[in-house]
Amino acid sequence: MKKRGIGLGCAWYGTGYGNGFPDVSSAFVEIHDDGSATVLTGAVDVGQGSNSIFAQIAAEELGLRAEDICVNTADTDVTPDSGTSAATRQTYNTGNAVLKAVRQAKSRLLIYAAREFSCPTPEGIELKSGYIGVKGDPSRRMILGDMVFKARLNGERLISAESSTARSTPVDLTTGQGAPYWPYSFGCQAAEVEVDTETGKVKVLKVIAVHDVGKALNPTQVEGQIAGGVTQGIGYALLEELELQKGMIKNPAFSSYLIPTALDVPKIEAYFVEEAEESGPYGAKGLGEPAMLPTVAAVINAIDDAVGVRITSLPATPEKILQALAEKKEELG
Amino acid sequence: MKTEVVGSRALREDSWGKVFGQTKFPADVNLPNQIYGVVVRSPHPHARILNINSEEAMKLEGVAVVLTANDVPHNSHGVLFRDQPVIADYVRMVGDPVAVVGGETMEIAREAAERIRVDYEILPAIFDPEEAMKPEVPPLHPELQSTNVLYHLPIRRGSMEEGWAKADVVVEQVYKTQHVDHAFLQPEAVLAYLDERGHMVVQTATQYAHYDRGEIAHALGFRYSQVQVKTLAVGGAFGGREDISLQIIAALLALKTQRPVKMENTREESFYSHSKRHPMTMYYKTGAAKDGKLVAMQAKIIGDAGAYSSWSINVLRKSAVHATGPYEIPNVEIDSFAVFTNNPYTGAMRGFGAAQTVLAYESQMDLLAKKLGISPLEIRLRNCFQVGSITATGQELTSSVPLDQCLAKIAPYFRREVETP
Repeated sequence: MKKRGIGLGCAWYGTGYGNGFPDVSSAFVEIHDDGSATVLTGAVDVGQGSNSIFAQIAAEELGLRAEDICVNTADTDVTPDSGTSAATRQTYNTGNAVLKAVRQAKSRLLIYAAREFSCPTPEGIELKSGYIGVKGDPSRRMILGDMVFKARLNGERLISAESSTARSTPVDLTTGQGAPYWPYSFGCQAAEVEVDTETGKVKVLKVIAVHDVGKALNPTQVEGQIAGGVTQGIGYALLEELELQKGMIKNPAFSSYLIPTALDVPKIEAYFVEEAEESGPYGAKGLGEPAMLPTVAAVINAIDDAVGVRITSLPATPEKILQALAEKKEELG
Repeated sequence: MKTEVVGSRALREDSWGKVFGQTKFPADVNLPNQIYGVVVRSPHPHARILNINSEEAMKLEGVAVVLTANDVPHNSHGVLFRDQPVIADYVRMVGDPVAVVGGETMEIAREAAERIRVDYEILPAIFDPEEAMKPEVPPLHPELQSTNVLYHLPIRRGSMEEGWAKADVVVEQVYKTQHVDHAFLQPEAVLAYLDERGHMVVQTATQYAHYDRGEIAHALGFRYSQVQVKTLAVGGAFGGREDISLQIIAALLALKTQRPVKMENTREESFYSHSKRHPMTMYYKTGAAKDGKLVAMQAKIIGDAGAYSSWSINVLRKSAVHATGPYEIPNVEIDSFAVFTNNPYTGAMRGFGAAQTVLAYESQMDLLAKKLGISPLEIRLRNCFQVGSITATGQELTSSVPLDQCLAKIAPYFRREVETP
C-alpha cells in the first residue's frame, strides 16, 4: 500500500569561519574610461553564482548594468585573497568587500563631479542608468564614461582596494560559551512523501522551502540554491552512503553510490523571507549551506507521518523502512 | 532601500559559456609536450612502507618518472595542521598516495602505475570511532594528540538538575549518520607547468586558490610569489575541493621533469582523493514542560574524523554549537568529539557538522510534540529563536532572526489534510 505523509524540518546555520578566526575578504576595483568597471577578488565561483552577485553589487553602486562589470576571480597572480568559497560566506563577506571597494573607488569621482557640476557636496551626486549627475537636476548630468575620462586626465585615479572582516569570538574550551558565528541564517522546509509499505521505497512528492536570506540579491539564484540544496538533502536522507569494508570503499562509482537524478527531484516551491541583516551587503546573508539542512528532517518526519515508523539512521533505505514496519507490526501483535 | 540591479533576476555571467559548452574546466586545458600523471594509492588502511620497486615500471617505454615520498621537499599539507603527506611512506587510510608516475600518455602512466611493487608492513587498523577514542588505543597522530580524540568541546549552560526536574516529557534516542561523498560531477583535474619566469603555474578547480598556492609553495619550497594558482571553471565543490587533492603532486611532477603535467582523476580515483562528510553518532535526551517549552537537553556527538584532521575540529565545533537546533533551551549539556580512525578522512561538506545534528534535533522535536499532544508546527513556534534569544553558547541573537516568519509562510501547508491516493 502507498501511504502519504507530510513532515516539517527547521534549521539554523552560523555563517563564516567563526570562532574568532579572522574571516577576511578583499577586493580591488577599477572604474574605466568608458564607464565600465572591473572587480578583482580571490573568491572562487564554485557554481553558486558569486561572480554574478559581485557584478550586481558593483553595477548597483555605479548605476550600470551587471553586464557592464568584469568580475575576474581566483587567480593568485592577479586577485587579492578573499578566503575560501565555503562556510556560506562569499555573498556576505566578499560581497561586503566588493561593496566597500566600489564605494571607495567612486568616492573620488563623486567629489570631482560635484566640483564639475558646481554642487557643493558629493552627496548631491548620483550615478544612474550610465549617467553621473546632480540629484534632482536633469540638466546637470554627463555620461559616466565621459566624467571618468575627464577625471582621470585631471589626475584622479578611480581604483581601490578594500577588505571586510566578519565578527565572531572563540568559544571557551571548558564551557563552550562565546559568540562563535555571525550572522546566523534560518529556514524551514516541508516535505510530502509517499511510502510504499510493500517495497519500503520512499518517493518525495513535494518540498516547500522557506529560507531567511536577509535580502535576496538575485531571486533566481536564491531559488537555484534552494533547488540544489533540497535535492542534495534528499540524497542525504534517502540514497547516499559510502559503503566501507575495512576502510576500503565498496561503491566508488555512480552505478553503486546513488545520488538523486532528475527523476528523483520532486516539485520544489522555494520562498524566502527578507529581514535585512544590517552587517550584510544590502542586508544580505548567505544561503549556500542552509538550503540543504532542513530537507533531511522534513523527509524523515514525513515518513513517520505516513507510516508511523521513526528512522534514526541515515539513509532511510527501503530495507530499514521494511524492517521498521515489521518491528512495528510485531509490537502491535 | 530601493535598488535596481541588486534584487533583480540579472542573468548569470557564466550562463552563455556553459550553455554553449565554451566554459573551460581543468580537464579541458592541455599544453604541447605535456606528460600525464597517475597516482599509486595504498590498498591498506594502516601500514608502513618498507620498499617501493619501480624497476618494471621504468622499463616501460614512455615512462618519464616515478616519484615517492623521498622526492617531496616538504612532505606535508593540511588545512588546520599539516598532518597529511603529499606522498606517504606511512599509510593511515586506503587511498593514501604512495607513488606517482609521469608518462607520455595516460595509458602508459596507468600501465606503469600497475607495475609498481610496494612492500607494506601491515599495521592494526581501527574503524569504529567509539573504540578508537578509548585511551588504551594507540594514537594515529601522536604528534597532535596522545589519544585518537582530536577534539572535544563541552558546552555547559544552566543546570541539568533543574532542567530535568521541570521536564514533564523526555525523549531519549540515538541517531546515526553515514559517510557521504560530495559526488561533484567533475572529477579532480590539474594542469601544472613552469612558465617562462620559472614560476609554477597550476590551473585547477578549487574552492580557495590562495590556500592551494600556499600549500604548493610550502611543499615545493617556492615563494608564494613564484606560484600562480589559476582557477578554471569549477564543476561542483560542496566542500570536497577544500583540501589539496592532486595540486601538489602535479606541480612536483612538473618541477622534477621540467615539463607540463596533466592529471585527471577517474571517478573511482576521485572517491579516494577528497574528504567525506563526517558520520556521526548522536546520543540525545531532550525534555519539555507541559506547556510545550523545551527545558533541558543533553547530547553527546561523536564524529569520525578518519585518517587526517582536515577540518574536523571546526566541523565538530559546529555540530556542538548547532546541536540544540534553532530553539531556546535554558539547560544544556553538549559534548562533541572528533576521533581519528583508519577510515577515509572526513572534512568540509555543505552543512559542515550542522547538517548531521538536524536529523537528531528535529526528530526529537516531532517525538516530543507527539508525547505532548501538540502539532509539530506548534512545538516549533513555542520554542524558536527570536531577536533577543540566547543560544546554548550564551550568544544573544541581536538581529535578523526571522524563523517565526519562515514558519508562518509554511504553516498553511500543515493546516490541511494530506490527500491519500
